[in-house]
Amino acid sequence: MNTQSSLEQGAANCAVSELEKSLREEGRRRLAGSTQGFLKKHAPFQKMSADALQFFSERSEIVFYPAGTTILGPDNGNVQYFYLIESGKVQARQAGEVTVTEYSILSLGAGESFPIGAVTAGRPSTNIYTATEDTFCYQLPAADFLQLMTCSPEFNLFCTQYIASLLNQSRQQLQLQFAQKASEQQTLNSPLAGIGARNPISVMPDTPVRKALETMSAAGIGSLVVAGEDRKPVGVFTRSDLLDRVVLADLPHTAPISQAMSANPFKLEEHATAYDAMFAMATHGIRHVLVTDAEGKLTGVVSERDLFALQRVGLRQIRQTIESAPNVEALQQAAADVRQLSFNMLAQGVGAEQLTQFISALNDALTRRVLELNLHNHNFDGIDWAWLAFGSEGRDEQTFSTDQDNGIVYAVPEGETAEALKQRFLAFALDVNQDLDRCGFPLCKGNIMASNPQWCLTLNQWQQQFSSWIREPHPDALLNATIFFDFRPLYGKTELADAMRRYLLQHASATPLFLRAMAKNALDVEPPLGKLRDFNTDLEPGYPGKIDLKKYGSRIFVDVARIYALATGVHNTNSVQRLRLSAQRLNTKAEDVNAVLEALDFIQLLRLRHQYLEGEPGVQGDNLIEPDKLNELDRRILKESFRQARKIQSRLKLDYQVN
Amino acid sequence: MLGLKKFFKSGTPAPLPADVLAALEGWRASEAPPTDDLHFHVRYVIVDIVTTGMNAEKDELLGISAVAVRQHSILPNDALSIDFGAAGDDPSAVDRQLMALLKFIAKAPMVCYHFPYVGAFLQRVFKDRFGLDFQPQWVDLAWLLPSLFEDKAHSVMPLDHWIEVLGLDGGSGRRESMDNVLLLARLFQMLLVRAAGKQVDTAASLIDESRASSFLRRAY
Repeated sequence: MNTQSSLEQGAANCAVSELEKSLREEGRRRLAGSTQGFLKKHAPFQKMSADALQFFSERSEIVFYPAGTTILGPDNGNVQYFYLIESGKVQARQAGEVTVTEYSILSLGAGESFPIGAVTAGRPSTNIYTATEDTFCYQLPAADFLQLMTCSPEFNLFCTQYIASLLNQSRQQLQLQFAQKASEQQTLNSPLAGIGARNPISVMPDTPVRKALETMSAAGIGSLVVAGEDRKPVGVFTRSDLLDRVVLADLPHTAPISQAMSANPFKLEEHATAYDAMFAMATHGIRHVLVTDAEGKLTGVVSERDLFALQRVGLRQIRQTIESAPNVEALQQAAADVRQLSFNMLAQGVGAEQLTQFISALNDALTRRVLELNLHNHNFDGIDWAWLAFGSEGRDEQTFSTDQDNGIVYAVPEGETAEALKQRFLAFALDVNQDLDRCGFPLCKGNIMASNPQWCLTLNQWQQQFSSWIREPHPDALLNATIFFDFRPLYGKTELADAMRRYLLQHASATPLFLRAMAKNALDVEPPLGKLRDFNTDLEPGYPGKIDLKKYGSRIFVDVARIYALATGVHNTNSVQRLRLSAQRLNTKAEDVNAVLEALDFIQLLRLRHQYLEGEPGVQGDNLIEPDKLNELDRRILKESFRQARKIQSRLKLDYQVN
Repeated sequence: MLGLKKFFKSGTPAPLPADVLAALEGWRASEAPPTDDLHFHVRYVIVDIVTTGMNAEKDELLGISAVAVRQHSILPNDALSIDFGAAGDDPSAVDRQLMALLKFIAKAPMVCYHFPYVGAFLQRVFKDRFGLDFQPQWVDLAWLLPSLFEDKAHSVMPLDHWIEVLGLDGGSGRRESMDNVLLLARLFQMLLVRAAGKQVDTAASLIDESRASSFLRRAY
C-alpha cells in the first residue's frame, strides 16, 4: 500500500471511529439512565445530585451471583469494589474468631450496600458475604467509590456515619476481649510450675498391672506416672507400653507395674520454662515431660497439648517484642525467636499453609520495624511511597531459606525531581537491606533489592516495566514476571501497589500471547514421575537419588497459579488463594481444586520438614529430598502430589494450546 | 417515518463512502476472537432492535441497542445505541452507523431474544447496504432458556414470562430498547451459570447448544 492510500484509510477509519465513539457514549448514557431509575428509589442515592448519580451509573458493572455463592471474604485481599444490591439477598457473616461488630450474621436486601468500612480503608473485608438468593449487584470499582465520596457530600455523609457506628461497636468489643485475654496471659517463658496438670495421678512401682490399669480407666487418663514413696518419679506407663510390654509380652496382670513402665522418664524442674519443655519434646520425641520440685518430687505433668495452647500467646509476645524493638540488635533476637517457634510448631504437626503464613506474618512485622527504625534517619514526609516484597515473600510462602526480594514504588510530588528523590530512596533502601541482612534475611544474589536503582521506581516506571515484559515476553522478561508479578506492599501507601496490580491484571489478561508464553515457560519443567520407577531421581546433576522439591514440585503449582490468576484477574499473590479463587471463576469442580491444594500443601510440608528437621542449624537449607528415605505412606502421597502437578500442567497445556 | 426503508427501496443502493469502504475492508481482514474459551474470557454482545413490525422484508429497522457482557459482568463502558432516525436523509450517515455497529461487535458472539427476528433484520440491512452476508455466531435466549431452565418452562415463551419466573423487575409499561437489552443481559448472566453447571462452559459449546435447542424444538 502506498503512503497516499494508507493516509486515506487512516482518515476514513477516523470518521467511522469518531461516530462509533459517539454511539458508544449514547449507549452508555442510556444504560446509565436505566441504572438511575433504580438508584432514585433508594437512600442515600435519592438525595444525591444528578452528576453524582450519572457518575455512579456510568462506572458500575452489573454482576450476577447465584444463590449460595460467596461474593467477598477476607481471603479476597483488599476490597476492589463497592457493592450495591439490586435484587436478591446477601448474608454477611463474621469471619474468624474475633467478632468486631455486635452482630454476627446480618441479612442485606435490595438497595443496601457493602462493605463500606473495608472499601473506604482499602483493606480486606472482615465479613464473608454470601448470596442467599439469586442476587444482582451493581459493583463500583474502589477508586471510583473514593472519588464519589469526595465529590458527593450526601454520599460522603452516608458512608462516614456508617463507619462511625461500626468503629464504636468494634471498640467496645475489643475492650471486652482484651480484658478477658489479659487475665489468661501465659507465655513460652512461663515457668512449668504454672502449666499443665498439678498433682498428677501416680502409683507405686509394686502396684500390679491390673490395678494400675483400673486406676487409669477410672481417671480417664492415657498415661500414668510411677513414683516411689518419696514421690520421686521412676517411670511412666502409657497406652503404647500396654500393647508392647503387657499384651504382646504376655506379662501377667499380677506383675508389678515397674516391669512394664518406661524407666528414667524425662524430668524438668518447676522453674524451667515452657520453651525448655517444648525443646525437650522435639529433641527426644516424647509427648510428656514430668515436672518436679527442687528435691526431685513429682509436682506436675506437662503435655504437648498444654504447650500448644500456649503458643498463640507466644506469637503475640514475639510480635510485641518486634513492634517495640528499639534497635536492630533487639530485632536479631526476635528473628531467632521466630525461627525457634516455627521449628516447634512444625514438630507438632502444624500444616504447611499455616506455617508459611505464620512465618510470613512475623517476617512482615520484622521488616516493617526495620523500615520504621530507618525512617528515623530518612524523612519522606509528604511523599507517597511503598515498600514492596517480591517472589516467595510476596506470595506469603516464605521458608527460612529465603533471601531478600524487595523494591520501592513512589510518586513524585510537585516541586521535587524524580532523580533527586530516587537518590534519597536508594540511600534509605541500602540501610534497610543491610539491616535485614543482619536480621537473617541474606542479601539477594540476583540484586533484586530496593537499593538497586533498577527496582526503585515511580508508579509510572513500574507500569512501563510491566508493560514491556508483557509486550515482549522474551526469556528474561518471563523470568522477571515470575518474580516481580508476585508483589505485595509491606509498608507505606498500599494504594500505589493496588494501582500497579490493576494495571498488571488489565494488561496481562488482555495479552493472550504473553499468557501463552508464560504457560509455555511453566511447562518446561515436568514433575519427576518415573516411567518404570515411582520417581525420576536423576534430574539434579551431582545429586543422584535426590529430587529438588522446589524446582520439580512446588514451583510447578506456583507457576500455574500465577498464570490463572493473571488471566482471571485474581488480585491475590498467595498460590493457594490464587488457585482457589481462579478455580471459582473458571468453574472448576471443588474436589479437583482441593486435590491440587492438598498436593501443594504436602510438598511444601516435606520441604519445610527437610529444612528444619534435617538441616544443620544456621546453614541455608536446600530442597533436595531422597524419596527412598521416605516412609511408604509419604512416598505414596508424594507420588499422588506429583500426579496432581501433572494434571494441572495438562490443563494449562489445553487451555493455552501449548504443545 | 424515519427509518432505513427509504434507503433500501430505491433499487441499487448508493455506493459506499470511501471511509466506510476502507473500514469495512479492515473489518473483513480482522480475526474473530476464539470461541473455544471459557465464558469468563469471552466478550458476548447482547443486542436488541426496534422495528416497525415483524417482517424483515417489509418493515423498517428504526434502532439498535447493544451491551457487552465480559467476565460475567455487564459493562457500562461497552454499550452502543443507534437511532437510524438521527441520520436524517443522508444515506452515507446510515452506512457509517452500520459500520460503527460492526466495529463495536468486533465479530464477538451475539446474544438476542428470538434470532429469526433479530437476525433477519440485521442480515437484510447489511446485505442491502454493504452487500455483506452477515453471519455472526448467535446465542438465542428464546430457545436456550427453556432448554436450560426446564424447571421453569418447556417451550418458547414471551420474554416477559422469563422476566417474571426468574424474578427480574421488568418495570411497568413500554420499555426502552436499552432497558430491554439490560434485561436480556441479566437473563444471559443467569443462563451462563446454569450452562456452566451443565458443563456447557465455553462459548463454542453454548453456541452449539443454542443451535441444537432451536433445531430440536422446531423438528419435534
